[in-house]
Amino acid sequence: MAAGLKTVILLSFVLAVGFLLIILSCALWANWLPLLVALTFVLAPLPNALFAHCGGDEFSAHESTAAVDLGRFITATIVVTGFALPVVLTHSEVIKPAACVMSIIGGGLVYSTIMAYTAAFRQDYSEFD
Amino acid sequence: MSFPRSSYDPRRVCLNPFPEFNLGKHRRTIGIYLAGALFALANWTFLDAAILSAHAHPPYDEPQIPPPVHVAFVDWVPGICSLLGMLIINLIDKDRIKGDDGFGDPGAVWRARLFLFIGFAFMAGGLAGSVSLLVLKYIMHDYPEQYTYYGYANVSQNVALMLSAVVLWIAQSVHEEYDYQLSL
Repeated sequence: MAAGLKTVILLSFVLAVGFLLIILSCALWANWLPLLVALTFVLAPLPNALFAHCGGDEFSAHESTAAVDLGRFITATIVVTGFALPVVLTHSEVIKPAACVMSIIGGGLVYSTIMAYTAAFRQDYSEFD
Repeated sequence: MSFPRSSYDPRRVCLNPFPEFNLGKHRRTIGIYLAGALFALANWTFLDAAILSAHAHPPYDEPQIPPPVHVAFVDWVPGICSLLGMLIINLIDKDRIKGDDGFGDPGAVWRARLFLFIGFAFMAGGLAGSVSLLVLKYIMHDYPEQYTYYGYANVSQNVALMLSAVVLWIAQSVHEEYDYQLSL
């Protein structure tokens, strides 16, 4: 499957660039607090993935149980945390503004890679539902 | 003279109108994501003030004057009240409050409304507490703008928490049409 292979290579490239930006934002100023951003964005899709299987059965299109809602709520909270953390650290002069910008861009790249990966490969195994 | 027959139970004092939102299919999802984002934004606004206060240093032109005010435990109290209120509101089963006492004991509706009232009282108390904190602790003492920011951050935290609770409530009371997906 050639298209899938290209997608995988592109996504892994973007993921590597994202992690590179985050690690540079830490290492250039020898202050490793922005590394928390990477951890946050890696953890962000986890609640959705965990609670997605607690939805309704296959006959009702509801998917609106409390567990699914809780997963979405926690996911949104973690994503906003990932963007807010460098800004707060910059505001109290713990990290430099350039490190803040780099870690936000890197975290956004990592998170969008994860999202694009799940969106691109969801089609493949819902064919057999 | 006779009053027209009302469409609600006339013994009730408080009416929660439950607007019948009939939005699109994904509105519920978007609302819940929005509520989560507002929740995180609220808490980070206050944490920003707290961290800023912990790292506060004297002004550079007068290095011997320490910062006149810090974020103390008093500043955390309104946020904690709002959080408790939001938790209580969201733990209540929405179908209980509507008062269709067809099943279960009728006391449950009354109790659910009581707890809803307590939850909203906690949220309103948190908001009022943050405003009074802003006025009493920060504005009355004529601090420079750098320090009154702590009070404004507190108020915006509570406003955003209340908005988050409202958005979550609206998103969860969206009535989706009950459709079947029969995948044959």
